Amino acid sequence: MSTTTLPEVLDTSELSRRDQMRARYGTLAPLLAIGGGVLLLLSGLLSWSYDDRILGDISIRFFPAGIQIYAMVIGVVAIALGALLRVRPAWLNPGRGLAAVGWGSMVFVVVALVTISRQAGGSVNINEGGWVALLGALLVFAAGWVARRFELDVRSWPRLPGWAEILIIVVMMAVLLFTTAYTLGLDDSWTFVCLLVALLTIAVALVGSGFGEYIGFVGANNRRVLLLSALLVAFLFPFTQDGSDANMSIATQILIFAATALGLNIVVGLAGLLDLGYIAFLGTGAYVGAMLSQSTFATIGWKPPFIIVMLCGMAVASTFGLIIGSPTLRVSGDYLAIVTLGFGEIFRLAMFNLDGTNGPDLTNGPNGIPAIPDLNFFGFDFGKVHTVAGIPLGRFSNYYFLLLLLIAFVILVFSRLNDSRIGRGWVAIREDERAAEAMGVNVFGLKLLAFAVGAALAGLAGTIKAHQDTSVTPDQYIFLESAFLLAAVVLGGMGTVAGVLVGATILKLLPRSCVTRPTTGCCSSGCSSSS
Amino acid sequence: MDFAQQLVNGLTLGSLYALIAVGYTVVYGIIQLINFAHGEIFMVGAFGALSTALLFFRSYVDGGQMLPFWALPVMIIGAVAASVTIAVLMERIAYRPLRNAPRLAPLITAIGISVFLQEAVRLLYGKIPSFPDAKQKVPFPKIAIVSGDAWTPFGLTIQRSTIFTVGALIICAAGLFYFVSRTKTGRAMQAVSQDPDTARLMGINVDRIIVVAFVIGATLAAIAGIAQGLQVTNVNFKMGFLAGLKAFTAAVLGGIGNVWGAVLGGLTLGIVEAMAIQFIPGTFGGSSWKDVWAFAILILVLVFRPQGLLGAKVVDRA
Repeated sequence: MSTTTLPEVLDTSELSRRDQMRARYGTLAPLLAIGGGVLLLLSGLLSWSYDDRILGDISIRFFPAGIQIYAMVIGVVAIALGALLRVRPAWLNPGRGLAAVGWGSMVFVVVALVTISRQAGGSVNINEGGWVALLGALLVFAAGWVARRFELDVRSWPRLPGWAEILIIVVMMAVLLFTTAYTLGLDDSWTFVCLLVALLTIAVALVGSGFGEYIGFVGANNRRVLLLSALLVAFLFPFTQDGSDANMSIATQILIFAATALGLNIVVGLAGLLDLGYIAFLGTGAYVGAMLSQSTFATIGWKPPFIIVMLCGMAVASTFGLIIGSPTLRVSGDYLAIVTLGFGEIFRLAMFNLDGTNGPDLTNGPNGIPAIPDLNFFGFDFGKVHTVAGIPLGRFSNYYFLLLLLIAFVILVFSRLNDSRIGRGWVAIREDERAAEAMGVNVFGLKLLAFAVGAALAGLAGTIKAHQDTSVTPDQYIFLESAFLLAAVVLGGMGTVAGVLVGATILKLLPRSCVTRPTTGCCSSGCSSSS
Repeated sequence: MDFAQQLVNGLTLGSLYALIAVGYTVVYGIIQLINFAHGEIFMVGAFGALSTALLFFRSYVDGGQMLPFWALPVMIIGAVAASVTIAVLMERIAYRPLRNAPRLAPLITAIGISVFLQEAVRLLYGKIPSFPDAKQKVPFPKIAIVSGDAWTPFGLTIQRSTIFTVGALIICAAGLFYFVSRTKTGRAMQAVSQDPDTARLMGINVDRIIVVAFVIGATLAAIAGIAQGLQVTNVNFKMGFLAGLKAFTAAVLGGIGNVWGAVLGGLTLGIVEAMAIQFIPGTFGGSSWKDVWAFAILILVLVFRPQGLLGAKVVDRA
């Protein structure tokens, strides 16, 4: 199909000015996009700055580095979209993608040029490559501006053979793994910002032009492959870190946070019970884990193996869930939120006070229980560096694998419950409690079960967290943490698994990236929450 | 004698809770929103008063002298201005767009605003030229007549700030009573809280009434902020969280949506807390457990008498 034929609407007087322009100059868009893309591609080979100390080294010709590579990738995307605009498959809308690339590449180049002039002292330091990139970005922007938009015809998605679809998923996951490892490995803050802009640009372009929906369609066709490859990527991630614990420590924090958020998702997302004190259950698990650990500061003499400790953590947390749940489930909505909030505060204050002078000595009060030893499964010491296939895996990598198992378990529990009679009952309660009761759903019992299961999962995560953090103190379990958990659930989408994982990752990663990158040291919040 | 002394302490604490609780209950009564950031409005009020003192009475503050008594009304005006401005902005920017959103959205927004205001004060207050850094406690200026030596009638110890706090509650309650039951706007407020749709049909500007509710709450919270500053002689950016939570407990205790319930609930909570410090025997007594008892009361009340002491209608919404 060719776009050189006349547009369908000949009478352009009734169209808006923007549409008139698209009708008139739309045929130029592929040309502009390819031209701009080639310029961006070319600029990567040229020198961007006279100064070789900023943004990596971008002063050498024919040796692209850092932001030059990002510019080239953006250029390739622009060329591909321009070519697709020419070919015009019915299931794609390259015009919208081009608009995103246009805006994104403009922002990218402007940020890069401003950074160069600021860091090197004036715009005279910008070399020819920077200006070529700016020209290319302008052309792509113009292409996005005039490119015509098409209606998507989702029925015409190409059906590839099974192996090809699986290949798409695998390649996508590999790119995801590589990009994540690369992003986390960056140490220059402005290169990091440029990379974020570039990645965002490409992501928005892919989604805007309809690739996102297609990939979703392919994923839905191969759910098992998607799940397995996602797990595999998560499993392979520590191997990309070269034995460094810096990113792995953040990754373990994210996994614990995500596991807890998934537990909260059962309570809030499925059963619709607003819980503002959920962090107390994680705290319960952590305190049980600490008190029954080998730490010399542990206040209980009993030191069972970790499997028993995990079960104890789950049992105690779910008992607390039942204790708080059984009376308070008579109230609903906002009242429940406040009661759970009050419970969360009582937990924190009680842990703070049970130090021997204000009550029985269980928690050492504000000092908490320090010096919790690392886990040891059948001689596998979590505190030591293990070398697998020549790649050293540090302490946090060991915990990362354990937490990955935990997450898999939580997801399994969540999805099996969600698909069962119980899950249907929860959703019914969430949607309309009275109607559910009238239909014979055991409302009270199911609500209690939601509280107990959610609390048990958080308690389980807590026992591991105690060992990974090596100490447990009351100030880790403040209300703000509960609010963050709730925010992760709401941000990702209540009742979903993937959404909550994404939400938890964003909420934990974003503040760290923004705070810790510019100052190379450790920020105050990072130090207090990581071990 | 212990009992009478704790009664005085409890009334002081309770008056403070009551002043803040009114803000929760008025807003909840009209739009069924738990304005989680109300504790921060209280904190902003205290900082507003502090800023006013620093701007207009700098020489006294730097010299470590007591401010003259006429500084008090000026500081009240400053505190109320700060609180009301923030509260109105908050309503306009954050809550109004979410008026018809699912129930969870405004609640989470409120938590977000609460965190935002705390961090804004913590990080930015010290950046204002010649203002002290607010990352730690900031001393609150002393004012002639309302600060100073305690009175000791009949062997009791009554701080002067106690008189100020209780007096402020009495005056505010009287003013509120007049406003709600005698003025046109106050009656419109009652109408909106009973049935917003019908009220709108009767020609009441509901949006304006909601703003008025926020303004009333913010005004009383600002006065409570000054009272707190005078009582504990310092302010800090975190003071709003626990006070707000307690005040909410008080509002629920009295029956949320009911203004008199908030006052009664505040006083009850304050007295119970003070008595718990004194009369619960063993290690679970004493001031370190008083917050636990306050929240325990909240839970007990919600479970056994969810409509609160004065029994406003219970809004059953999920």
